[in-house]
Amino acid sequence: MLLEVSTLAAGYLGQTVVQGVNLEVSPGEVVAIIGSNGAGKTTLMRAIAGLLRPMAGRVSLAGRDMTRWPAHRVAGAGVAYVPAERHLFPAMTVKTNLVLGAYPHRPQREALELVFEIFPALKPRLQQRAGTLSGGQQQMVAVGRALVAQPRLLMLDEPSTGLAPKLAKDAFEALGSLKGRGMTLLVAEQQVPLALSVADRGYVLENGRITLEGTPHELDRNPEVRRAYLGVA
Amino acid sequence: MKAVILDGIILGLGFGLLGVGMTLVYGLGGVLNLAYGEFAVLAAIVVAQAISGGMPTVLAAVLGILAAATAGVLLDLSLMRPVYRQSTGHRVLLGLMLTLGLAFVIEGVLTWRDPLGGLTISIGGKPISILGVPIAVGSVWAALITLAVGVVLLVFFAATTFGRGVRSVIQDELGARLVGISPSLVRTVIFGLSGALAGLVAVTQSMTSPLTVSGGFNLTVYALIVSVVGGLGSVAGAFLAGILLGIVDDVSARYIGSYISDIVLLGAAALTILVRPRGLFGS
Ligand SMILES: Nc1ncnc2c1ncn2[C@@H]1O[C@H](COP(=O)(O)OP(=O)(O)OP(=O)(O)O)[C@@H](O)[C@H]1O
Ligand SMILES: [Mg+2]
Repeated sequence: MLLEVSTLAAGYLGQTVVQGVNLEVSPGEVVAIIGSNGAGKTTLMRAIAGLLRPMAGRVSLAGRDMTRWPAHRVAGAGVAYVPAERHLFPAMTVKTNLVLGAYPHRPQREALELVFEIFPALKPRLQQRAGTLSGGQQQMVAVGRALVAQPRLLMLDEPSTGLAPKLAKDAFEALGSLKGRGMTLLVAEQQVPLALSVADRGYVLENGRITLEGTPHELDRNPEVRRAYLGVA
Repeated sequence: MKAVILDGIILGLGFGLLGVGMTLVYGLGGVLNLAYGEFAVLAAIVVAQAISGGMPTVLAAVLGILAAATAGVLLDLSLMRPVYRQSTGHRVLLGLMLTLGLAFVIEGVLTWRDPLGGLTISIGGKPISILGVPIAVGSVWAALITLAVGVVLLVFFAATTFGRGVRSVIQDELGARLVGISPSLVRTVIFGLSGALAGLVAVTQSMTSPLTVSGGFNLTVYALIVSVVGGLGSVAGAFLAGILLGIVDDVSARYIGSYISDIVLLGAAALTILVRPRGLFGS
């Protein structure tokens, strides 16, 4: 198992938001976390990434406990997290943003080539300041910066945020091609059809708890999921 | 006029270097270190005592700079810990209070132990003529050292991995954590660098005019003004602002009176906040 989360609880100022979360991601697998607004998807991702200290439970990467590690250490161990707000370095060029993904090392040539292959639109914009890019382009830089680190696990929080339907679809197609190259992905998304289009497995998060787990096919057929997330009566 | 401007540039280079140490620490976490000038005074006293103890000047200067750098690191590891746990607004206030308190303590102790203390490094020799203006040898050395360190700093922040890491923390701390950078380690290192720069300014300033125990407050104010005008967090901005303000300072002191120059500088800072709040180079 690459990522193993067991009985995890996390929240803010003593108030628990997610609890009892068990979740696993195998190498090469694409796993989706689906749930409506406020279900706790971001909170769960932040706790795994070390941005939020878990209140209970355990997070481990390839068997190694990293429950209380600070975010920079989690990143250094090979978990790249792309938050919905992207958090690029706005006054730096696209190129410098990408280069920083490999910190403290120099970026590998193959890693940069992969980024330009997945996001060819970035190549002519390498010298542009990241803060002046469109939302869709910023999303590409954020994912690109994470890829430059050559992570063992890539976590994305709502990659569709702020993107027009066509661009959101493109973003998930890009994730599909990463999957084709063997990348391990954990994606939180409320646009369930998009999420299930690339996932091997999905978890449904409701009010901070995992209520359902299964393959896209199983989730697609589940009457609860159909009613709550797929808009089918 | 030419002489005034040349003097102003030399003064301004020192301002710029001083500003770098203030502006980086602020950019990295919202702390305006009001004890900054006292670090310079601390270095000056260490250098003066070491020289009077028989140590060669260059070695004494290095010792003084190291002492100020250590003071910076210790400040970061002690008083600054609770400050960085606060959210932004409270952080600024708590940082101001604690560093102001530290400034009083350092100044108090130094004045008590060494009331007449101060540092003058005199470098002999005939004034050197630059563009037909005679400049004291000490000033030329001070300007050259400052310029060299300034170039090293600019290259360091523009082109090295750690330098880029520092800038990334200034621009988006959470983004920096996500690429594997520890903001608290970066802050500790930069606090040390900031102390070292204060120490270096103490040394270069004492080559042109004496730096006394009571001189710390002025240096803090100059550093603040340069930071605001240059743009908080910008090394290039600090140098540009330093040079501009050095010229303004010298011209106003020469043609109006030295009593006016500090007010003119503060006015320049206030004007910057009104017209261009990010400063010359701020992002
Ligand atoms: N910084 C915070 N402080 C206090 N409560 C928070 C904080 N961030 C989120 N919450 C609360 O935690 C709960 C879960 O929020 P979270 O952002 O994890 O949900 P989400 O599933 O990501 O929702 P969305 O799909 O809208 O992004 C919400 O009730 C929210 O109000
Ligand atoms: Mg969310």
